[in-house]
Amino acid sequence: MNAAFRLALLAGMLVLALRQSSAEQLVVALSTDHVKISSSFTGTGVTVFGAIERDAGTISRGGVYDIVVVVRGPDETLVTRRKERVAGIWLNRAARTFLDMPSFYAVHSSRPLNDIAPAETLTRYQIGFDYLAFRAREGRPEPGDEAFRDAFVRLKREAGLYRDAPYGVTFPGSAVFQTTVDVPANVPVGTYRVSVFLFRDSAMLAANSAAFGIAKTGFEQFTFDLARRNGYFYGLICIALALLTGWLAGVLFRRD
Amino acid sequence: MQIYLPIAELPVNMFLIFGMGAAVGFLSGLFGVGGGFLLTPLLIFSGISPAVAVASTTAQVVASSFSASLTYWRRKLIDFKLAGVLVVAGIVGSTIGVAIFTLLRRTGQLDLIISICYVTFLGLVGGLMLWESVRSIINTRRGRPAPLRRPGQHGWMHGLPFKMRFKRSKLYVSIIPILAIGVGIGILGSMLGIGGGFILVPALIYILRVPTSIVVGTSLIQMIGTMAVATLLQSGNNHSVDGVLALILMVGGVIGAQFGARLGARVGGEQLRAMLALLVLAVGIRFLVNLVSTPDELFSLATLAGDAR
Repeated sequence: MNAAFRLALLAGMLVLALRQSSAEQLVVALSTDHVKISSSFTGTGVTVFGAIERDAGTISRGGVYDIVVVVRGPDETLVTRRKERVAGIWLNRAARTFLDMPSFYAVHSSRPLNDIAPAETLTRYQIGFDYLAFRAREGRPEPGDEAFRDAFVRLKREAGLYRDAPYGVTFPGSAVFQTTVDVPANVPVGTYRVSVFLFRDSAMLAANSAAFGIAKTGFEQFTFDLARRNGYFYGLICIALALLTGWLAGVLFRRD
Repeated sequence: MQIYLPIAELPVNMFLIFGMGAAVGFLSGLFGVGGGFLLTPLLIFSGISPAVAVASTTAQVVASSFSASLTYWRRKLIDFKLAGVLVVAGIVGSTIGVAIFTLLRRTGQLDLIISICYVTFLGLVGGLMLWESVRSIINTRRGRPAPLRRPGQHGWMHGLPFKMRFKRSKLYVSIIPILAIGVGIGILGSMLGIGGGFILVPALIYILRVPTSIVVGTSLIQMIGTMAVATLLQSGNNHSVDGVLALILMVGGVIGAQFGARLGARVGGEQLRAMLALLVLAVGIRFLVNLVSTPDELFSLATLAGDAR
């Protein structure tokens, strides 16, 4: 999560806290706070529950509540490359490096985002693919940046790592909401931040957040850590494994 | 059955990967080649990133070469001195190869270079093999004996310095071409995830004139040494060897190879070589098509280290 976004969120919460006395509050709970990746992991779903709490002093207003749930995975810096045809061959030429982009980003809402809040608000809290902040390492903006940003989001969506559900948040009760965010198998490990925003009549009334972790466990964790931290030792194990397998096969299938 | 690969970081169908290993193992047993040049492309085309595919196949080649070499070792069909020189050169080559690999990954040109190398080498070797085997099949049909090369005809190589005697191969040659071959195969092998047997064997026969009975066993030793070092370096530098993937491939490969070898013993050598040539050419053409046809998606994502995302 980049610094600008975190600041904006903090500022928003502060404002909300100041006028808390007469406002709605959000209670958020997750179906799990720990997703474990084991050898049989093929993806899972994390359900976000919540309730809109109104104290006695809350002024009854017209209009309906809107809820937006944003799930952000750990940040990563990615290079977006574009292929061009050179001498009949397609090869990577132009590239943009986008700093600290969410590796996973899901936005679920009770209605399409543009019906819920104006663009300025969505931009401030980085709600929705169209309002994500892109910081290119190349510095100053150049013509054609748009194409790289669009491609970034498109590729992430195709990989199932960026997802949206404009009617994904449902209200089982008048002040109770829920949504299930699908976590695909190729998900990166790390801490996932769940931000929930309450809107009414285009105004943000409350926000709250929660977090869950995604981590490899057992053998997967052990193997991954070993390969990362002791690459050479891990390599030796792989070679030993190869020699053992080869030797066993040679002995088992001996024909002469 | 889906199994999550810890390094490739994606779930794959275990039986599919096992089947690929077994199928390639079968072909490698049938043709007497390592099969890396088939396995790496298969893995890449099935969605595993080129970096992980190359590095994991490297480990698989160690297993299949070691398994195959045991037979030659028992029959004493290995020139260990020649293999030793080749391995030393191969280690130098694979160190260079892995360094180039790491660099290309960072600059996003790895896939391109892998494809170009595959097109070039598979096209060249496949074409030569096909030409040679078709010619000898025609010669046999017409009842003409295959042209034999005169023994002792060494050409330009004879003039090179630093000669060494290899008793087992009955050779007295300069070590310069041996080192050059070893380094070259080491670079190619570690970059492309292939043992390089389909290049090494002809090179040893035609350039160094190593007796054909000894050439396969000796080249297997070179592959074990070079690929083991490449596995170690890939793992240490790029963290891209997936042990689980490699193990499934190894088991599938060594089992498939047994059945392939049995069938291979019953098919004629020239026909076998022509079939192998067609297979090699087909893989090369597949890469060429990929290079020149307009891709569906022009954009790609990767981390700074070069992992595809």
